Amino acid sequence: MYRKQLRRRRAVLALLIISSFALLTATYGERAGGLQKGVSAVFGPLQEGADRALKPARDLINWFDETFDARGENDRLRAEVEDLRRQVIGSDVALEENEQLRKQLDLRTSGVIPSGYDEVSARVIARSPSVWFGTVRIDRGGSSGVAVDDPVVTGEGLVGTVSSVTRGGATVTLITDPGGNGISAKIANNGAQGVLSAEVGDPEDLILDYLDAQERIVKGSSVVTAGWRAPEFESKYPPNLPIGTVTQAPILQQEATQQVHVQPFADIRGLDFVTVLVGGSR
Amino acid sequence: MIVTPKILLRIALIVLLAVLLQLSFFSKVHLLGVVPTILPAVVIVLGLLGGSMAGAVAGFSVGLLVDCLLVAPLGASSLVLLTTGYLAGIYRERYDLTTSLVPPLMCLGLTLFAEAAFAAVQLMLGVDAPVSALVLRDMAVKSIYAFFLGVPVFLAVRRALRPALVDEQRPRRRIQPRMLGA
Repeated sequence: MYRKQLRRRRAVLALLIISSFALLTATYGERAGGLQKGVSAVFGPLQEGADRALKPARDLINWFDETFDARGENDRLRAEVEDLRRQVIGSDVALEENEQLRKQLDLRTSGVIPSGYDEVSARVIARSPSVWFGTVRIDRGGSSGVAVDDPVVTGEGLVGTVSSVTRGGATVTLITDPGGNGISAKIANNGAQGVLSAEVGDPEDLILDYLDAQERIVKGSSVVTAGWRAPEFESKYPPNLPIGTVTQAPILQQEATQQVHVQPFADIRGLDFVTVLVGGSR
Repeated sequence: MIVTPKILLRIALIVLLAVLLQLSFFSKVHLLGVVPTILPAVVIVLGLLGGSMAGAVAGFSVGLLVDCLLVAPLGASSLVLLTTGYLAGIYRERYDLTTSLVPPLMCLGLTLFAEAAFAAVQLMLGVDAPVSALVLRDMAVKSIYAFFLGVPVFLAVRRALRPALVDEQRPRRRIQPRMLGA
């Protein structure tokens, strides 16, 4: 009797392990399959309800954490304000010149969101608990016009791209996802182009690699999407979407290229609402 | 544990509730820059109360559901959590829960194991991005959170599954013998 029970247990365990390996082999590197889409569609409303119901409790806990962080940040911000005050004077002059040049070239003034795109606001209803994946689930999907590869932004800057879509929801791969594809980006003030990628375990830190070693890149420079376009290929992202600021440069200088650290403008950890840029030509 | 259809339904509800809580609440909370994780703790507690098979099946189900909802590659979370639940169950089958510290300590140790195993699986599958040393801090802090989460999770799950637990039956009130005619 006991032996029979033991054999049955071993069989179940072996079956579960084999199933795990089979699933891993079948789905690794693939986009969402039918099972995942089905489960996401079924649980979408439940997740949305849970997200709304638990928001007050979540905000309370995050308030304690942010208060703790704010104490340390206060001193740093004071120094930064001094620095910025000096920069603002220089920026005003540059803005004036910039405005004149735009008029001369008859360029359309553009904001963060490029023309030709429609905005779809979405609520973040779930996010990955692991540092090995940077994905969030949003409550807008195909029925709202959201499609795979649509860029996702907040008021502060780029957040990621849509990686899979169901009718009522979508999964967004964040720019901090270590497994995500690199983002073609450039330094705003000198146009030096590179590829931006994430580092596992530190979502506040991105690495902009393959920058021309001849370009002088200074701390505090803004990084935006390059949005390149070639006859057969084009970037997923429209040009000039703000990404972040250079925090350390250069961290690695080789013969031809250099690397810099970039901190995202968007608060990737505290995402509650995002905007999906739908339509448009990239 | 005596598994009846009613108990199976309760376990399924516990699994579902844990996954929803993790994705909609704990994953969006940051304490000292680390996201607390409740899923290994729930699987460990199910293993401790139900034995190795209950732990393994619960772990597999939790992992599969999370991967489906996050549209992550299927199988990695299932493999790690089924091993975690199985180990917790094996402990229960070999030793008694002698003190109330066993569940939180198991949560601490096995959450650390689960995080390390998940990292190992990811590294084996190939991660192109550089790996920061902060991953180690993340693992350690998550395990400490699991220690504290282990107590309420254990109490809540034990309460929900009490009718099925062999050694948790409420003692029946003893009827005092009565002398007739007294």
